[in-house]
This record gives sequence, C-alpha cells and structure tokens, in this order.
Amino acid sequence: MTIAEAVDETPDTRTFRLTFQDPAVAETFAFEAGQFGEYSAFGAGESTFCIASPSTRRGYVECTFKKAGKVTTALSDLNAGDTIGFRGPYGNNFPLDKMEGANLVFVAGGIGLAPVRSVIWTVLDEREKYGDVTIVYGARSVSDLVYKRELEEWAGRADVKLWQTVDPGGETPDWKGEIGFVPTIVEKAAPSADNAFAILCGPPIMIKFTLPVLQKLGFQDSRVYTTLENRMKCGIGKCGRCNIGPVYVCKDGPVFSAEEIARLPQEF
Amino acid sequence: MTKAITKEALTGLVAELTAAGVRVIAPAKAADGGTDYRAIFTLADAILGGEMPRRSLRAVFQPPTEAVFGWERKGTGIELTPAAAASQPQVVLGARPCDAAGVNVLDKVMGWDYKDDMWFARREATTIISLACAEMAPTCFCDKIGLSADATVGADVLLRPAGEGYTAEALTAKGEAFVSGHARWFSDEPVTADPAPPSREAFPLDKIEEWLEGHFEDALWADLGLRCLGCGACTSICPTCHCFDIVDETDGTAAGTRRRNWDTCQTGLFTVHTSGHNPRADQASRCRQRILHKFEIYPKRFEAVLCTGCGRCVQACPAGVIVPEILDSIAQRANGGAA
Repeated sequence: MTIAEAVDETPDTRTFRLTFQDPAVAETFAFEAGQFGEYSAFGAGESTFCIASPSTRRGYVECTFKKAGKVTTALSDLNAGDTIGFRGPYGNNFPLDKMEGANLVFVAGGIGLAPVRSVIWTVLDEREKYGDVTIVYGARSVSDLVYKRELEEWAGRADVKLWQTVDPGGETPDWKGEIGFVPTIVEKAAPSADNAFAILCGPPIMIKFTLPVLQKLGFQDSRVYTTLENRMKCGIGKCGRCNIGPVYVCKDGPVFSAEEIARLPQEF
Repeated sequence: MTKAITKEALTGLVAELTAAGVRVIAPAKAADGGTDYRAIFTLADAILGGEMPRRSLRAVFQPPTEAVFGWERKGTGIELTPAAAASQPQVVLGARPCDAAGVNVLDKVMGWDYKDDMWFARREATTIISLACAEMAPTCFCDKIGLSADATVGADVLLRPAGEGYTAEALTAKGEAFVSGHARWFSDEPVTADPAPPSREAFPLDKIEEWLEGHFEDALWADLGLRCLGCGACTSICPTCHCFDIVDETDGTAAGTRRRNWDTCQTGLFTVHTSGHNPRADQASRCRQRILHKFEIYPKRFEAVLCTGCGRCVQACPAGVIVPEILDSIAQRANGGAA
C-alpha cells in the first residue's frame, strides 16, 4: 500500500493513511470496525495494529502507531509516497449491529483511542442509527493526546458529549479539559447504563479500573466491549502465539465482551 | 488392498524412484552418526526400523527456516517475489507411524480457515510410506495417546515387517495410486505380517482435558516451572509443535527475504510485548501453555491432541520434565487421587 498521508499525532506517534496500489483490491476491500492488520516495513518486519479508520469509508485504511520497537521505528522513518505492506483484515469486530438504537459510551486511554476511533467515526457516519454518544478520552499529558483535530471536532458537535482528561501533572497552563485518571472521569461523567453499550480500549491498568466503575454505573458485562492485544505474528491462527487459555486472540478476538474476558484465564 | 514386497523389490523400487527424479526421504545416518530423516539414493542408505530419527517429519513439510517471499525496493515501490511452491514429488519411506500421525494432526491447523499453501504444496507432492514398529522403545508412548506401533493415520501406505520382507497396505487414494503405479515391485502373494507389539491402556485424554480446563491455577505448574530450564529442546523435536516466527532478513538496504522460522513457546521472548509487558513472564506459565496447547486448546478446536507419543521430548529434556509422567499425574488428580 502507499502512504497517502502521514500525520504526527505526538512526538512518537504517527498516523498513516494507506491507499491500495492494486485498483481491484481498492474496489473490493472491506472491513468491520475492530478488525486488525499486519503492517510491514520491508527489511524490519511486520507489526500488528488495529485498523483505525472507520469501516464506512472505503478505498483506504489508517493505522496509528507508537515508535517503540524495531518495526514501528522503521515505519516511523517512512513518509507520504513510500510503500508499506498490509495483510488483513483479520479477527472479529465490535458488534455494531447489536448496538443500533442504543446509547454508546466510548472510553479510551492514550493510543488506545485508535480502535475506538474506528468505531466512533463509523457511528458518526451513520449517526441516525444510534442514540446518545459519550466519549471519555485521557492520556498521560496534553502532548500525548492523539487525533487532536478530531477531538476538537467532536467537542464542537452537539450530538457528541466529549470528556477529555490528562493525568495529574500532564496538564498545560491553558488546558481546558479535566485533570485525573480515566476511571475517575468516567465516574464523574456518569453516563446512564439504560439501553447503553460501552466500548473501551487503553492500557491494561486503565481497563482494570474502569470496568468496576462501569459495573457501578449499572452496565452489564455483556454490554461492555474491549479489544485485547497480544503479541501476534501470523494473524490467522497458526503461529501459536496469542492464546489466552483456549482462545485465539487473532481469530476469536481481538474484540471481547467483559463477560467473555471474565471467563478467560487472567493471562494477558 | 494388502500386497507384499521383498527387500530386493524395495531396493529396486527406491532405485526406480530416484532415477525418475523423485526425492526419497528415509531414516538414515547423518554425518555425526545420529539418525535423521534424509534424502537417500539407494535403500542401502536407509535404516528401516532402527532408532527413532532425531527430528520428526515436521521439517519435511515446514523446514526450520523457509522463505515466504523476496522483496526489492524499486523507486518508492516494493516488488515482491513469492517463494516458489515446493512441487518436486517426494516419498517418505519408513516413516514412524507416530510421525505420520503428527503430519495428519498438523494438517488441521494448517488448513484452518486460511489454507497454508506452503504446507499443503509439500503435502500434495509427498507420499508417506510408514513402517510399523517391531518394538516399542522405553520412551515410546504412542499407545497411551491412542495410537499404536502399527497406526495408519497420516500414512498413504503402511508397511508391516513380515519375516524378511514386508506387507504393504495402501490406505489412501494416493497410496493406491503409488502401489498400482509401481505394481511390478509388489506381489499378491499372501504374506502374514509379524505381530505388532501390544498396546497398553491409553491415558484418559477426555478427563485430562476436563481437568486442565478447570485448573489453570494449580501447584503442578509451579512445580514444572521450577524444573524446566526453558531451553525449548522439547518443542524443537516435536512432531506436532508448530509455533513459528516471521522475520525479515535484508541483503543490503534495497532487497531482502521474509522468512518463517520455527519458534518455541518456552522462552520469555515468545510473548513479550514491545512495552515490556509479558503475559507469560515466568517459566511456570510457559510450561502450562505447552501442556494446555497440546491437551486442551488443540483438542477443543480440532478434536485431536497435539501429541503422538513419539517420546522424543522424554529423551530430549535435560531437566526431567516428562510428558507421560505429567499426564499420569493429571489423570490421578482427575480421578481424585493425590499426585
């Protein structure tokens, strides 16, 4: 695929918009929000990220990644016009068909906004199908917030309630958002659990402390969805790396309800 | 259909195959004196019915390292050259029944949802002729996994020792075609095969699977983890272990090869995230994963245990982590006994 556009989200996080080099694939390629792919920097290898763009928009996919290891460092060095490899879409997706007509609560931390953003835009592109939309998004500091332009856009929309927060000490003098950890702000935002689903993604510690808050607000585990990440190589159930007990994250996931996660061995 | 073949006829058959450009793979002596599955040119090179080859047949169908594709930078683009699919016809002669069974077990995951073309290209080009074992080594436990010294699963043709020669039973369409295609070497003389060594009672694999399901947390894992060195020897010689890594190798900066390499679940590197977080951070969880994958995860998904009782891991483990002993111990626990 060709990098059509590269955006620096933070000093170490980038978003690529990728377009297909084969017009036939561009025509037929489709995916669902929550699915992932394997992205190649030729010479360094492959990394697994979610598809961060909405499934409602055809002809391209976007991915957002943090420069952390060998492959993401090599990907970071690429720019618009360069070629990268993509395999996918793999895995399951957020069950948006089940969520039609319901109120949606999105909770994300740091780069965990990437898969959640795919769902948010998919929902906003077909806004009339869903009820209220509440978004709680936090990062360690103001400079760690990703998709800053889109946060502004969501903040300005009458049909979206957006809560932004940064960890204590991560604020700047002109920061207008909340200060505090994501679970605290979810409790403060107190979205109603009536006819609602919650969609979460963030660091394990954020998930761990947000789930009890959602329970307290009355969300049933079967109506809370998150996306797990495990180290993966093949993405298609053969390389033996991503099992959590009997579950293959690449095939049975990456999207699981809190109810399903509670049944899994705690090895992720 | 069961036919017979003498050693002389088998010698002729191997000569005919190699002359026709068919690669014949059989247990044979390696340069260091050990026995491996290797390409042979005459039957005299093969050691039929000898000691267990050091590595299983997995390497015949999925080599320890193989190119997936080559890539080359062309301006801002990348040109990919897929690795050529293996197509040379080959015959495995004298496969251990446990090793043929292992290939059959792996077909399930390799064909799951997305067909692994590289695996199946080699499978299609290969005819497996197993040889029933005349005796069980002390480390063998195929019978306890539900196979036997003359198991047929995964083989196209099964030879059984019969005095100075063999009986030959075609088991699949491919096996039938092989026998009828080389009919002049096989005779219809009725020959009686030597009796196979008797099978012991199998492990209660269903009960073991059930126990594993309910005992993710158990003192057993800590015990194994303390003994295990995490060397991965067991996974490198197993007929059914199939975990792999995908890596890029570069030739300079403008070209390179993407390769698939065998990997092992027994090292911490296997599951460590870039962040440093590791879901299996200790040896106990890695030992548990190996046992779970073989006796709970795989059976649940594919209705087959990921083990053929070949006993190589029993021979290879430097730390006394012995699968049949572990299964015995789990079976006792499953039956309410202390182990």
